[in-house]
Amino acid sequence: MATAIRMEGLTKRYGDVVALDHLDLEVARGEVVGYLGPNGAGKTTTIRLLLGLSRPTEGRGEIFGLDCQLQPVEVHRRLAFVPGEANLWPSLTGGETLALLGRVHGHVDEAYRDELIDRFDLDPTKKVRAYSMGNRQKIILVAALMVRPDLLLLDEPTNGLDPLMEQAFRHCIGEARGRGQTVFLSSHILSEVEALCDRVGILREGRLVEIGTLAEMRHLSALSVEATFDGAVPHLSGVPGVRSVETSGRVVRCQVRGSIHPLLRALADADVTELVSREPSLEELFLALYGGGGGEGRAR
Amino acid sequence: MHAELAVAPPVATPVRAERSPGTVVARLSARRAARSGAVWGLIFGLTIASSEVSYTRIYTTRAERDALAAAYGSNKATSALFGPAPQLQTVGGFTVFKISMTLMILGAVWGLLTSTRLLRGEEDSGRWDLLLTGQTTRRSATAQALAGLGAGAGTLWLLTAVIAVLSGRGSKVGIAAGPSLYLALALVTTAVMFLAVGTLTSQLAETRRQAASYAAIFLGVSYALRMIADAGVGLHALIWASPLGWVEELQPITAPQPLALLPIIALTAVLAAVAVHLAGIRDVGAGIVAGRSHSHPHLALLSGPTGLAIRLLRATIMAWWVAIAAAALLYGLIAKSAGATISGSSVREVFAKLGAPGTGTDAVLGVCFLVLAVLVAFVGAGQITAACAEESGGRLDHMLVRPVSRASWLSGRLVVAVTVLVLSGVGAGIFAWLGAASQHSSVGFTTLLGAGVNLVPPAIAILGIGVLAFGIRPRTTSVVVYGLLGWSFLVVIVGGIGAANHWVLDTSVFHHMASAPAVSPDWEANGIMTGIGVASALVGGLAFWRRDLQGE
Repeated sequence: MATAIRMEGLTKRYGDVVALDHLDLEVARGEVVGYLGPNGAGKTTTIRLLLGLSRPTEGRGEIFGLDCQLQPVEVHRRLAFVPGEANLWPSLTGGETLALLGRVHGHVDEAYRDELIDRFDLDPTKKVRAYSMGNRQKIILVAALMVRPDLLLLDEPTNGLDPLMEQAFRHCIGEARGRGQTVFLSSHILSEVEALCDRVGILREGRLVEIGTLAEMRHLSALSVEATFDGAVPHLSGVPGVRSVETSGRVVRCQVRGSIHPLLRALADADVTELVSREPSLEELFLALYGGGGGEGRAR
Repeated sequence: MHAELAVAPPVATPVRAERSPGTVVARLSARRAARSGAVWGLIFGLTIASSEVSYTRIYTTRAERDALAAAYGSNKATSALFGPAPQLQTVGGFTVFKISMTLMILGAVWGLLTSTRLLRGEEDSGRWDLLLTGQTTRRSATAQALAGLGAGAGTLWLLTAVIAVLSGRGSKVGIAAGPSLYLALALVTTAVMFLAVGTLTSQLAETRRQAASYAAIFLGVSYALRMIADAGVGLHALIWASPLGWVEELQPITAPQPLALLPIIALTAVLAAVAVHLAGIRDVGAGIVAGRSHSHPHLALLSGPTGLAIRLLRATIMAWWVAIAAAALLYGLIAKSAGATISGSSVREVFAKLGAPGTGTDAVLGVCFLVLAVLVAFVGAGQITAACAEESGGRLDHMLVRPVSRASWLSGRLVVAVTVLVLSGVGAGIFAWLGAASQHSSVGFTTLLGAGVNLVPPAIAILGIGVLAFGIRPRTTSVVVYGLLGWSFLVVIVGGIGAANHWVLDTSVFHHMASAPAVSPDWEANGIMTGIGVASALVGGLAFWRRDLQGE
């Protein structure tokens, strides 16, 4: 499949601080990729380098085969960006802002724009100064979606949105995926990434520590098992692969890494009335990776 | 197996108690206001000192001092511009005449910018909300901010006073400590009044820029009233209608009139009290003068980054243009009658030292156009700081993530800036001619138009150097352009009359501008200054292209 985004050894240092460390990452056309990491892991730095707003210390980024630093205008014709903070011109109205940003981009699907204004319940005659934070964010979202770009670069795009609008956003990203648009979504909202993304990349202290589909990443965390017993509760702490055993009355909860066979054998002799097992959620995967603490304060 | 869960007993973490949470806002404002007050106090003090020292070096004989007094003592043009000049035979009288109007206006500008920054600016940024969630109320926080601003004014006075006293003690200067302290007080009173004005307009307006504009209009009206009062057209009573007039009536050193402090104190107290009252009756974030929250779309200019720049700056640009045109018209109106009071060779000599040789209307306008040059340069400085604010506010990102290159954005802004500068210069020339022609003055239209265009190169130099700062260290842009502008003006005002070191004079962009229409514009010097501006802008543009953008 053709490549939408390619990063090769992309590195950004601010003095002694390494914000991004030799990042290699490819995103295929039409793919929806989530980009996760704690505050300061380098997510925004990555996106600003791709947009040509920051200059890399080493390495390079390409979008649709065009160099992000050398051909920014050509690159920008094919993408739209949504930042997490909507710093707009306070004296313009929402409608004026959309008109301006659309004209600057050069192509707007006007019918879709009007539909988005409806869907996000925006009053375009209101001045930006008078909008709430969430409404300002909606303007930025509509401005990005209305140009139907080949690539959507989203940096925590749902900041300040209420659950209804968050739902509307997910719907729009689903539509974009249906139209074959590529989406690169940096987010803190793990359920959003889990619901929308084909692949997830996890960044830690400027390095990409994991990238893959959710199924591929399940190995990062353990299976959660909850067993209820009718009779005596067996000792499970010595069973190979079993950890974090917690007992509450006749209920035992534990985590299993690797093969589940040793646990099943141990349970076979006990009087099990109910057995529930669950795959780890993205949140559990994320926490498993960051159990030791994140890279707070390393980069923007 | 039961998981062992050890519950630790609660540990009493020592929390440092804030000794006086009710004064946090005051201390925060005081720290910020005092910092800039100290810088300006240093500038004020050094300006006084350099004026005193240069006078004692240049005007060494009685005859020279008498000649100076004859030139300016009854000159209505300089009186209108800089205030009356009653005792030019003395170092104190000369210093008051030479520097007080400039420092009064600088003090007022400092006051209105500092107060609107620390009040409405904090509210715009949302930080005020955080402060108000502490142990304070809206009124108390505003009163505290006022107290903090007062501390800033105190710092301004202290540094001005210390340097003025030290300079006055010089054997040749010989001004006692008392008059020096009073001089410092008089100079700082405008700052105090405009701190209060800015605090009030911060309650009225909805944005910082609007608040600063309201305060600037008040300053402009005050200056115009004082100017008419001092122009010798029989309206001297108007002096009492202008806050700047009251400060002038304090007459430091020459004939102290402390009673004039009464209206100054009264105005400050009333403005402060009204501001504190209004802070309590309005919503945080809103102004008393409600801005429109809805508007019909006006899309004509919103076609790209350059159109957007015009749309955003048009009100400010128009206000400056009107101010420049009005000042030019006023100068044109008074030039002939003021010029008629100048006669004799000693006068010619003094005007020549100010860069405006000759007598009559031309010479007066030559000096007046220096003030217009400063105004035009202010417009140039404002253009580049506005561009810088687009970046630091994170709004530039919205342009540059779309098919707009950094080069086209910056060059569009600079084309707008240079066009505005040229229109300002041309406007100054035309309106000065209209004023002069209405008084049947002999100065020709093309001469004054040339003099107007002559104002543009220093502003282009400042604009270009601003682009350089913006490209290399964007956070320093404002300090660099306004610092260079203030410095350049002080150097020509203080150094102009005397033989200041030519290296120092060379650092002033206004020093290289010929005093047209008193003399012909020096197109070669203008070319060099424009060249410096263009070269600086090119280097700055390259640096801007290479660096990271400063998102918010």
